[in-house]
Amino acid sequence: MGDPTGEPGSSMHGVTGREQSFAFSVASPIVHTDKTAKFDLPVDTEHKATVFKLFSFSKPHMRTFHLSWISFSTCFVSTFAAAPLVPIIRENLNLTKQDIGNAGVASVSGSIFSRLVMGAVCDLLGPRYGCAFLVMLSAPTVFSMSFVSGAAGFITVRFMIGFCLATFVSCQYWMSTMFNSQIIGLVNGTAAGWGNMGGGITQLLMPIVYEIIRRAGASAFTAWRIAFFVPGWLHIIMGILVLTLGQDLPDGNRAALEKSGEVAKDKFGKIMWYAVTNYRTWIFVLLYGYSMGVELSTDNVIAEYFFDRFHLKLHTAGLIAACFGMANFFARPAGGWASDFSAKYFGMRGRLWTLWIIQTAGGLFCVWLGRANTLVTAVVAMVLFSLGAQAACGATFAIVPFVSRRALGIISGLTGAGGNFGSGLTQLIFFSTSHFTTEEGLTWMGVMIVACTFPVTLIHFPQWGSMFLPPSKDPVKSTEEHYYGSEWTEQEKEKNMHQGSLRFAKNAKSEGGRRVRSASTPPDNTPNNV
Amino acid sequence: KPSREGAGVVLDAGIDKISITWKLSSTGSKKEAEFKTIKVKLCYAPPSQVDRPWRKTHDELFKDKTCPHKIVARPYDKTTQSIDWILERDIPTGTYFVRAYAVDEHDHEVAFGQSTNEAKTTSLFSVQAISGRHKSLDIASVCFSVFSVLALLVFFVNEKRKAKIEQSK
Repeated sequence: MGDPTGEPGSSMHGVTGREQSFAFSVASPIVHTDKTAKFDLPVDTEHKATVFKLFSFSKPHMRTFHLSWISFSTCFVSTFAAAPLVPIIRENLNLTKQDIGNAGVASVSGSIFSRLVMGAVCDLLGPRYGCAFLVMLSAPTVFSMSFVSGAAGFITVRFMIGFCLATFVSCQYWMSTMFNSQIIGLVNGTAAGWGNMGGGITQLLMPIVYEIIRRAGASAFTAWRIAFFVPGWLHIIMGILVLTLGQDLPDGNRAALEKSGEVAKDKFGKIMWYAVTNYRTWIFVLLYGYSMGVELSTDNVIAEYFFDRFHLKLHTAGLIAACFGMANFFARPAGGWASDFSAKYFGMRGRLWTLWIIQTAGGLFCVWLGRANTLVTAVVAMVLFSLGAQAACGATFAIVPFVSRRALGIISGLTGAGGNFGSGLTQLIFFSTSHFTTEEGLTWMGVMIVACTFPVTLIHFPQWGSMFLPPSKDPVKSTEEHYYGSEWTEQEKEKNMHQGSLRFAKNAKSEGGRRVRSASTPPDNTPNNV
Repeated sequence: KPSREGAGVVLDAGIDKISITWKLSSTGSKKEAEFKTIKVKLCYAPPSQVDRPWRKTHDELFKDKTCPHKIVARPYDKTTQSIDWILERDIPTGTYFVRAYAVDEHDHEVAFGQSTNEAKTTSLFSVQAISGRHKSLDIASVCFSVFSVLALLVFFVNEKRKAKIEQSK
């Protein structure tokens, strides 16, 4: 039942909103709890926690969780810190609409690359240093807002700050060293959702900080620069906390990692091949660009939009914009939960329909947002849009773990990068030119979401079917073993390298839906046993 | 009229002044009886509105964003009024003209006059904004950045040293 020795990095899949709705603890009898270990939480034989206690700070597991999501959230705060202050910054730096749009694109582009590199960094230095390095080395980029005097500087600094969003990777990686793979889905999903909330928190925080500094006597064009010191300090504080309070592994720090230096058990080239040649990977890259991607784009434009269109004060616009990002607190996990719920009755086909419905609904609400003419309708539309987009993120990663077992880490990474890429592209087309007003941009973005969600219909699993087609009738191809086994060559199978995939395939049978579940009687058919 | 004249002169926000004079036009106005207050505002000229939809001119006055900067508001007086106004420190860089709106007791604009022609091409003046940067801010920024990098390196080196000592034991 799954691979209890989930190596660091192998559980990267667990970026789902929620894989099993009630998986607060591992119920399987096969995961042996280590009763001799002296931890506050019950642990397995690797000393990874088997229970997720949200309100505890117990060392080392829950402490890691909190350090991790807060650092990730801090990076969201600094990456989007400029957005609610744009009405002031644009006057100081004499920006045009194109400049503002380009800066928005730049802010999400940096992390496309940094996220891909971060995996390797975590392998080399461990997630604790990976996180601390990134957070503390990006603090100077946040402080350098004080030097910016024109469009070029603004765009460059936003680009550099954006690199720190790679803490997403260190966050998920670190969780997988601390939590058993059976609950890693919920843990990682909560960490990702709460991290994304930073994009909402910043819309509230920055205008308030700016207001306070102004009242203290600074002029407008200086006050916003001073305001950036706050996220800068948060970087330093979190970096130090991670270094002093965090540890790489349940038993201690890196010294122990030397023993498991067999991190590269599999060949990178092979994994890459299987990731890239699976057409489903690319559909998810596109899809995530229109759920997470539009969330990031909206984080960048929504405060300015409310400020300009409805003549609100800066902090009122910030408050409304904050509601968009803060909905992540429950919306992303809810999406994952909805996916799990539909899988109970309809298996993978249910998951696909759920994803399509939620993401398309989000797109329609986005269209409504662009067309809303009164403040009240705009706010309602925005909230519904946020629920749709963020739940779709959760629902996406409820399916991604099933696309591949062998190449799971890379596919998750590619999907994540696709989110940022989609964000950059959308901001470039709709929000950087004078061709569209912002409300037109939002409307067309909504249309694009609906259009780009359509490819979900093309995702077909021979063993489970797709939205419109039933599973294959071929007796060989319609098994889970065949699908996951096909990622290994005959030579590799002879060496039994594919055992992990076979175990996963057995557990994944629950994605066949209710008729399959009632036919089999295993005690715990949780798919998150990677 | 700006305090310094000449082609290519750019006024500095926070330092230079403009001198504004206004009175009822010689042709008179039908609505003169309704004038309660005169609001004088600083307005963006067309070159400063290009690619900046938040400064757009709208026919509907409440949507119009051309003149966001208030200069002064005085009760209507038949005699010629004038003011010397220092350009405030939050005026952005751009090209400007001045407009005086006459509002009635319900705060509705009933008439206006401006320092430029109908097409907004003559008598425009340029303003250069303050940069908002300060040496002290720059220094603080560098200090905190250096602290961040140093703290990280110190921790890293320290831990590596401790690990080496442990290993050699």
